[in-house]
Amino acid sequence: MEMLNSLSAFTSFPLAELEVGQHLYWHIGNLKVHGQVFLTSWFVIGVLIIVSLLATRNLQRVPSGTQNLMEYALEFIRGLAKDQIGEKEYRPWVPFVGTLFLFIFVSNWSGALVPWKLIELPEGELAAPTSDINTTIAFALLTSLAYFYAGFSKKGLGYFGNYVQPVPFMLPFKIIEDFTKPLSLSFRLFGNILADELVVGVLVLLVPLFVPLPVMALGLFTSAIQALIFATLAAAYIGEAMEDHHGEGHEEH
Amino acid sequence: MSYWTILLAVEAAAEEGGGGLFDIDATLPLMAVQFLILVAILNAIFYKPLGQAIDGRDSYIRTNLTDARERLAKAEHLAKQYEQELAETRRQSQAVIAAAQADAQKIAATKIAEAQQEAQAQREQVQQELDQQKQAAMQSLEQQVDALSRQILEKLLGSSAVG
Repeated sequence: MEMLNSLSAFTSFPLAELEVGQHLYWHIGNLKVHGQVFLTSWFVIGVLIIVSLLATRNLQRVPSGTQNLMEYALEFIRGLAKDQIGEKEYRPWVPFVGTLFLFIFVSNWSGALVPWKLIELPEGELAAPTSDINTTIAFALLTSLAYFYAGFSKKGLGYFGNYVQPVPFMLPFKIIEDFTKPLSLSFRLFGNILADELVVGVLVLLVPLFVPLPVMALGLFTSAIQALIFATLAAAYIGEAMEDHHGEGHEEH
Repeated sequence: MSYWTILLAVEAAAEEGGGGLFDIDATLPLMAVQFLILVAILNAIFYKPLGQAIDGRDSYIRTNLTDARERLAKAEHLAKQYEQELAETRRQSQAVIAAAQADAQKIAATKIAEAQQEAQAQREQVQQELDQQKQAAMQSLEQQVDALSRQILEKLLGSSAVG
């Protein structure tokens, strides 16, 4: 970071600056939280709630405007959950999977589209909530809890039967998988979003005009794909936990 | 991959400051709780009402579709029935026409035959009358011939010879 700061000292643009790993700390009791993450996440939550209220304020049989858009989103989420979890079981999981998708998607795009860096903070800078490891680990752990809950509520203790399917020597790998699933989920999302923001930041630092645009467009694409991957994998894990004892594993992205 | 080097540099730099990229603290559980609350809120204001709207529309369309399909089937059935009736009626009308034509022909034939018979009869009657009149004429002619020949005889031989 000192390297980058010294680099930025060379350029004559005061706009281009890069801060990594600095946080706006809020102290609650003796707990420390990252304030900038919560500020942007509240923004994202606000956007989601406002759009939902707009969409459901005046429900029509023939949808138009916001209702049409959000119905498209809901149909998309339902399709995703149905594909991964299955026709019979998917309905109770639509809110969880859908909120994962919507929250991550809006977070990522807000990081790419909203010029957060223009708002000055005493410490750290605003960015997509998903570029903070705490957020992604929180979501990944919730996903783990969700699929354990799904498995146990469906099969009771018979869920442990999954660990010796299809052959008993898979047991250690299955146990390891329970740890690698949240790890890969959280680090995939965190790494992609942070890397995207850093690449854009570095390019802006070096060439602050036009050159970063293709990378920003690519960033929009990656952001959307990452939201889709996270939600799809979460749904796939839940579906895997609930499926009957003759299924096959799901591929990793 | 370049950001890994940056990241390592940051990690080294942030050791004392308590910052860094992998600074895991109370943000994690609070974010999880916040996310669960968001799930509950969105479930109440987004997934439930909009899902109900979508399902309601689906069932509305489905009932309408089955209704329309039923009506279509009924209409097709009616059309077929009408067509059958139409064909039946056409066949009947053709039979009626054929019967009428046959009747008319029969009537015409009998009428013609009658007329011919009548004409024949009349011709015969006229012929008969003609013959009678001819005969009558012949008889009167013969009588006159007789009278005349007698007169001629009287003139020639005198009345004594005759009488």
